[in-house]
Amino acid sequence: MSQLVQGNEACARAAIASGCRFFAGYPITPSSEIGESMARLLPDVGGVFVQMEDEIASLGAVLGASLGGARALTATSGPGFTLMQEHIGYAALAEIPCVVVDVMRGGPSTGLPTRPSQGDVMQARWGTHGDHPVVALAPYSSAEVFELTSRAFALSERLRVPALVLYDEVIGHLRERVDIADVPLARGERPRPSVGPAAYEAYAPGPDLVPPLADFGRGYRFHVTGLTHDERGKPTDDPAIVGALHRRLQEKVVRARDDVVSVATVALEDAEVAIVAYGVAARAAERAVSDARARGLRAGLFRPRTLWPFPDAELRGLASRVRALVVAEMNLGQLLLEVERVAAGRTHVEPCLRADGTPLTPEDIGTAIGEVIGAAV
Amino acid sequence: MPAESGSVLLVGVGGQGVVLSSAVAADAARRSGFDVKQSEVHGMSQRGGVVSSHLRYGPLVHSPLIGAGEADAVVALEWNEGVRAIPALRPGGTLIVSLDRIPPPSAFVDRHGGAVAYPAVAPDTLRRTVPDVRAADATSVAAAAGNARAMNSVLLGILSPLLPFPAEAWDGAIAANVPRAALEANRAAFAAGRALRFPAAPAPGTGRPRRRAPAEPPSVGSVDIVDAWCKGEDCAICVRACPEYVLGFEPDARPVRAVRPDACTACMLCEILCPDFAITVRRAAVPAGPSLVAAETT
Amino acid sequence: MTAKALAAATGIDYREHLRLPMMPHILCPGCGHGIVLKALLRAIRSLDLDWDRLAFVAGIGCSSRLVGYIDGCTLHTTHGRALTFATGLKLARPDLTVVVITGDGDGLAIGGNHLIHAARRDVDLACLLLNNETYGMTGGQVAPTTVPGSVSTTTPRGATEPPFDACALVTAAGASFVARGATSLPLELDTLIAAAIAHRGFSFVEIESDCPEYFGRYNRLGRAPEMLQQQRRRFDEVDETLAAKRFVGAPPHAGVPRLRTGVLHERKT
Ligand code: SF4
Ligand code: SF4
Ligand code: SF4
Repeated sequence: MSQLVQGNEACARAAIASGCRFFAGYPITPSSEIGESMARLLPDVGGVFVQMEDEIASLGAVLGASLGGARALTATSGPGFTLMQEHIGYAALAEIPCVVVDVMRGGPSTGLPTRPSQGDVMQARWGTHGDHPVVALAPYSSAEVFELTSRAFALSERLRVPALVLYDEVIGHLRERVDIADVPLARGERPRPSVGPAAYEAYAPGPDLVPPLADFGRGYRFHVTGLTHDERGKPTDDPAIVGALHRRLQEKVVRARDDVVSVATVALEDAEVAIVAYGVAARAAERAVSDARARGLRAGLFRPRTLWPFPDAELRGLASRVRALVVAEMNLGQLLLEVERVAAGRTHVEPCLRADGTPLTPEDIGTAIGEVIGAAV
Repeated sequence: MPAESGSVLLVGVGGQGVVLSSAVAADAARRSGFDVKQSEVHGMSQRGGVVSSHLRYGPLVHSPLIGAGEADAVVALEWNEGVRAIPALRPGGTLIVSLDRIPPPSAFVDRHGGAVAYPAVAPDTLRRTVPDVRAADATSVAAAAGNARAMNSVLLGILSPLLPFPAEAWDGAIAANVPRAALEANRAAFAAGRALRFPAAPAPGTGRPRRRAPAEPPSVGSVDIVDAWCKGEDCAICVRACPEYVLGFEPDARPVRAVRPDACTACMLCEILCPDFAITVRRAAVPAGPSLVAAETT
Repeated sequence: MTAKALAAATGIDYREHLRLPMMPHILCPGCGHGIVLKALLRAIRSLDLDWDRLAFVAGIGCSSRLVGYIDGCTLHTTHGRALTFATGLKLARPDLTVVVITGDGDGLAIGGNHLIHAARRDVDLACLLLNNETYGMTGGQVAPTTVPGSVSTTTPRGATEPPFDACALVTAAGASFVARGATSLPLELDTLIAAAIAHRGFSFVEIESDCPEYFGRYNRLGRAPEMLQQQRRRFDEVDETLAAKRFVGAPPHAGVPRLRTGVLHERKT
């Protein structure tokens, strides 16, 4: 049975359906509905909602709950996401599963609180200091918010990484038909120790490079720290150990890449021009593709559902086939940098950017398509 | 002890039952027909600090306070408080003292600061100052009699033969003052204390015990030091805290060493204050030399 | 207290509760924080708590490093945020007893907002704030509790800002158990910490500790033994009028009114 579901509400429902039993957050436009929905839904499933004093505290509480064994979620927007960076880094180094939803609004600073943007793409990747792994997913519809939130939980638990869900204000507030029963729920569990408490080392990696994680207070005693540490969790600055730790943290995500990276495409088979777009911009891009096709232009859409790690391999193949890539995003060129890096001169990369608090339109993208095709003709 | 009047000073630390013991003794005096005055001095008893109670009885008593050198007996529920109270004893007075040691909560005191210095006296040296010492492991005696918490009644039992109060007066006083639930345990502890036998005090003027403990007096405690954990002279907390000057440094400054191991009284100060977990105090069995501890029970 | 505290103090083998491979700990010679850790272990022992239902959460700073040496579930978080992690852990796992260790900079400066909100929420946490009036880990800068006149690397001519009274702060914020203890009164610490852990609701114990390495050195307070003595005197019953007089050349604490230790505020829930 399909229902009209708002993006933010879909997010909360997906979390509950994925076993999330803890939410800590701080109100911020345009993500507040996620917390409000969780406050309504969690008590019925025996979960806990707490409104914290700020976003730093919110993610701190989520990490504490996660170590206790709960699947935990927080949601925020621009300025709050900035505050959360400290604990995203902590979660990455201490390898604590958590899901962070960032409903992007215009920035920087207080910026445009009620307007959409896609300005947090690079912050999602590099917002916290130091090299660190991160998984970031970018849904473009209510149904996909549901699907990818669930997927974020699965990946975060399985890989012991912070998983981010990034979408913009339009997607967050968009109400559309979703048949929730039809949306696949992702499965993924945190690896559990196969040894007893005496032999357990909280940071000794399994075969997939992910260390098994015990819960606090269930017989296993271990140390969790934001300092670089050895396999027992003991802080260390031994270059060999520190170097190996950093490489493992990256490598565990790389090894799971095929499960993490997901791309949707439209009409790419014979495309001369491929639009690269995500979130609400991809909705405009879909329309731009059909408009272009109606005009006889062979356009297609490459829509990363995973922003980080970036779908390099998938895009590289495409870059060698098309005449041009049009990067349509609502910022002054963030994912554009990744596209240019991957294209590496194989094809022309055309920016189609907007950072004024309004969504990109099919016309904006159509114009860009026309330009690259015109220029190429 | 004079039959017609007397002064008893009871000392201990908060929670040990000094006040109750004093009330029992005062009541026993009253039941024996004496006038009696009693006064308590609470130091920082809420913090487990020192508590003392002055008790004077006689045909007519005006002031309860006992001046220096005036007490016929000192009853100390804690070893170090007993040692500290020695100046209150008159020449020839009796020190009744438990071997229980409770480090003061103000465990770190200015050892050079005089008044509150922790007493640096080991058990076997005590008799040089006080000929009549009746020291007992009161907690163990009380435990054997049924309840370790009744150790204060063991000491009252030791005191009782020295005072001109009949046994019925003591028993009546205990029954009237001790909470019902603890009554039987305290009666038994009192009886066990009363039954303890101590060697007679040496004749006045001899001053020193005739028989010294074999060889060196056995120390009450010893310290284990984890060398690798001790941070040495830059710390020195234990060295400065030890009231018996047990600890010190070799010229190499680290780690700390027991330089006067035999003087250790197992007061625990060093262990409690060592921030590095480097010291463990081992309590030796309480020395059971006949000079100090009750040897037989009748 | 005495009989119980003594039993805990004499009967305990601290090594059972330490991560031996991590020892010796990194704190400087004579640092007061180790004394607090001992008192904490004794307090836990006196309460006879199940070690499998205990968690220790700390922030960043010298005091916060203590948790790493406890053989338990230990969480060394980010600067100032220990209480946020602890709140999440406790709410998600009400079966756990959660002890938080923080310092004056960690808990009152960068983490001050979390502290007052944890107190307001009255979540069942026991928070020990080790106050040594300085940032030890970063080399001895002025802290929110530094007494005016004290020298630090960022107040080379003496601190001028008034300090926080942490106990008054959390009391006003709604904490249901507030106490102050001191490393110079180590056995009283056992009692206070045990009471804080046993209390249902947010319990806060400010513990005066010493940093001989920086605060002591910069303020010519001597090393650890001398600092303990001076600290002890601050808690003594002293003549208030004398204490209120400041005189030239006195160490920073000379004019500071006597601090009260013990349970300062308790509201049973
Ligand atoms: S060595 Fe330790 S236990 Fe022995 S007397 Fe000195 S401080 Fe007390
Ligand atoms: S207190 Fe501990 S660390 Fe300090 S000198 Fe003594 S044994 Fe060594
Ligand atoms: S810097 Fe100060 S607070 Fe830090 S470990 Fe050293 S003495 Fe302790």
